[in-house]
Amino acid sequence: MTKQTAGRFPDPHDYKVPPELDGWEEMYPSHHLFSEDRSEWEKQQFWYLDKIHAPEPMPPLDLLFQEAWQISLSQYTTRVFCIPPAQGIAQRMVGCYMYICAIAPPPDAIIGEKAGHFQKRVFYVFDHYQELWDKWLTKFNALGEEMKNLNVPSQLPKYVPDEEVLPAPTGCYVSYDVISSFDKLVNMMFKGWQYHFEMLNLTYLAYLMFGDVTRKLFPGISESAIGKMVAGAYVSMFRPEEELCRLARLAVASRDVAKVLKSDKSVDAKKAELEKIPDGRQWLKEYTKTQDPWFFVSNGSGWLHHEGSWIDTPDIPYGYIKSYVERLEKGETIERNLDKIDQERDRIVAEYRGLIKSDEDRQSFDNAFNTVRTIYRYAEDHLFWVEHWFHTIWFSKVRQFGQLLVNGNMLKQVDDIFMFNRYEIPQMLTELVTSWALGVDIPTRGSYYKAKVSKRRKILAIAQEWAPTPALGIPPAEIAEPFTIMLWGVTTDRVKEWLSGIDAAASDTAASVVKGFASSAGVAEGPARVLKRLKDIVDLQPGEVLVCPSTNPSWAPVFTKIKATVTDIGGLTSHAAIVCREYGVPAVTGCGIATTTIKSGDIVRVDGDTGTVTIVKRAA
Amino acid sequence: MCYVLDFGIIDKHSIDTVGGKNASLGEMIKAGIRVPPGFAVTTDSYKDFISDTGIKEEIYRILCGLNPEDTAALNNAADEVQTLIKKTPISSGIQEAITANYAQICDSCGVADLPVAVRSSATAEDLPTASFAGQQDTYLWIQGSAQVIESVRKCWASLFTPRAIAYRLKNKFSHEKVWISVGVQKMVNSKTAGVMFTLNPTNGDLSKVLIEGSWGLGETVVSGSVNPDKFVIDKVLMEASEKTISTKHIECVYDPVNGGVINSDVDPDMQCICCLAGEEINELVRIAKIIEKHYGRPMDIEWAIDKDFAFPENIFIVQARPETVWSRREKKPLLGAKSGYQLLMEQAMKVIKVEA
Repeated sequence: MTKQTAGRFPDPHDYKVPPELDGWEEMYPSHHLFSEDRSEWEKQQFWYLDKIHAPEPMPPLDLLFQEAWQISLSQYTTRVFCIPPAQGIAQRMVGCYMYICAIAPPPDAIIGEKAGHFQKRVFYVFDHYQELWDKWLTKFNALGEEMKNLNVPSQLPKYVPDEEVLPAPTGCYVSYDVISSFDKLVNMMFKGWQYHFEMLNLTYLAYLMFGDVTRKLFPGISESAIGKMVAGAYVSMFRPEEELCRLARLAVASRDVAKVLKSDKSVDAKKAELEKIPDGRQWLKEYTKTQDPWFFVSNGSGWLHHEGSWIDTPDIPYGYIKSYVERLEKGETIERNLDKIDQERDRIVAEYRGLIKSDEDRQSFDNAFNTVRTIYRYAEDHLFWVEHWFHTIWFSKVRQFGQLLVNGNMLKQVDDIFMFNRYEIPQMLTELVTSWALGVDIPTRGSYYKAKVSKRRKILAIAQEWAPTPALGIPPAEIAEPFTIMLWGVTTDRVKEWLSGIDAAASDTAASVVKGFASSAGVAEGPARVLKRLKDIVDLQPGEVLVCPSTNPSWAPVFTKIKATVTDIGGLTSHAAIVCREYGVPAVTGCGIATTTIKSGDIVRVDGDTGTVTIVKRAA
Repeated sequence: MCYVLDFGIIDKHSIDTVGGKNASLGEMIKAGIRVPPGFAVTTDSYKDFISDTGIKEEIYRILCGLNPEDTAALNNAADEVQTLIKKTPISSGIQEAITANYAQICDSCGVADLPVAVRSSATAEDLPTASFAGQQDTYLWIQGSAQVIESVRKCWASLFTPRAIAYRLKNKFSHEKVWISVGVQKMVNSKTAGVMFTLNPTNGDLSKVLIEGSWGLGETVVSGSVNPDKFVIDKVLMEASEKTISTKHIECVYDPVNGGVINSDVDPDMQCICCLAGEEINELVRIAKIIEKHYGRPMDIEWAIDKDFAFPENIFIVQARPETVWSRREKKPLLGAKSGYQLLMEQAMKVIKVEA
């Protein structure tokens, strides 16, 4: 590995990836690669590993979400809302990992210009938030429906059907539909991601503003306190879990339904048995009704195709329902008490407010609080609709194209389509319809693509085992970009930690302390359970400390079982942080290296007050 | 005229007769705070003592015309006054009143010769603007009414240490207007004790309670003879933002050989163990908030945890006084009145400096 001098990270152009990754570049578009022609600019920037959006080696097609947010997030900051000193976030791929860079502030003249636009455009959003949100949800739902309804043929017909030729020829046939449908699909995803940031930058800005106000009033206030004051209880992201609870309650109302759902049979067998009883049929109807949208929930972050969604892994929701039914029968309460959460937030806000000494300060606090509360729901609501619901639809649509390519003997398996980037797939589809158009028994380059799939899968697997440098280039003198600060938590301390982390890795000593965000207060000690995938959740025992890459609503039912949570990815407003604060479970999030440093069975002490995880005793 | 008043019947309006410390204990009892039982020997006792015995004129004559810079004269005068106070008999009326009240708290605790702390409580002491803190004496682990009466007398005499006399001269407090009361309070048989502030003294953060504690009696923490364990707790969320466990070498404990108290070495196994349990910390913070609210200002509080009782009955407040450092600062708004838009605009213009 390249050795760097103290105080700076390797030059991105000199940084060498392991030779076994040879050929990784061809998986990604050229603008995502460090290049000699842009090296002057690139080496002046500070690039850090984006563990939030790209925690693992990037499958080529899944890069599309990143491409989409690079444009959308940046444009809202630079060209739409014009946050004066902030610029966008650039991305580069290195050995299948994604590095990002918050670009330095523009010249003063531009900052001045932007300030004028900012004032005019931004305040409008806050004044009209409710109305804008209603419109947002309407158009976003319409976009999702449009994507669902997109026609993707599963086979190319031997001959186009009569009705397309006679009496009025359509003049445009399936070969065109295949090519244009994929373009439409990609365009819809880009549109969805344009919508995604419609109010998000401002939400983060308001959150940072409220954080600064409270820190001025109470210098030692914790991030967790700020998070608790801002967070809402009735948000879409928690709805899937609420729906599970509702279905479980519905099930216990009928003993027969409960009995089936508690059994250890497969989901299909359970469904078949439920079909036989009237209450069961009613229950299945409710399940189907709620499934879209509420079970369009990724088993992971929603960013990677292999995570799966509740709708294609019904074992997961059925498994949760089973345990909820059992708990209900024991007389336990399974729902989060939303009113109580709301009341608790009101109490916290009122108590801090009561500690403010001057009327002027109290007025500023009230104004800051009302401003952030006006818009903060957006952070909590958009996440479900975009990363979960919309991405679930996307993955199922892409798989339809995968099936088409499998049927055309271009690929071996449906999910092989994810091994190609969004620029390559149109080529493959073009080739498929070309061979179809040319006539019978026309060869395609199927074996060429299949070989590519195996090679790329191998590269990704090797990359998985490789630990890339946390950063490249020169650390910046200042940062103004709200996402960089809030979402990635890039601060002076973090950069220093990365620098010392490189040294520690070089000396090859196994770390016994892992640091992250102090996301939920309290201290707890217990045996660690490292879960890389949600499907391993069956191994989790009550009283263990959950160590995982990140959590999301589909993990919700585990939080009542565990002593503490440690995640690699996610800040103070991440799902794990929010839920742990609610359940009073200590959490340290965004540790980066927790799942690789900690092993199942290690005794760990999680200090949610300081953001430290200590490995007290290694498992034998 | 009352020579002695139970803590249960005094409050902040009683400062003239029982002094600041005692009045504050009465105030806390009123606010429902657990304070060790005890009584105040009023300023009337002291006044009658010096008037009825005729030593009053003698005292003021000795102190008249002293120069605070003349150390030798100051020492001589102090010596003379203190000797006078120590050798003059206390009237039977005062003695009986103290004995009767002491017997009463012994009875109520079910212990004969109950160990008590005897502390002076001067009428000008501990007011936010005129801190006399530490100018008068405290006698710990006093047992039996004779010892109690002698300790009361020593407290009276402590009004005339060279330092106290010089302080009054320099600050132009008249010797004749400073009266002394004495508090007699059940000793807390403390496992752990210390001090807490209802703000974070390092940055003035009003949302925090700072707790410092160590093994044994609180004197080691108050005097700074031990590095205490330190906790900074958020008042609203009850979360710790800082927790430092120090090596606590010594503790102040009862001395069974000579009576009174002594600093002894802490068992090495115990030195680095946290001196407070989580529930004890929470209870202290809860009490700190009640006291602060009762007084309507940031407070400086001494507390102790008794070995002989179970939680939460074991937690006692032994003293509370207004915090003086941050409270005396000019109170300017930290932000000023700003609109949500102004605050947003300011935030939008911010850049964060990163030093690498």
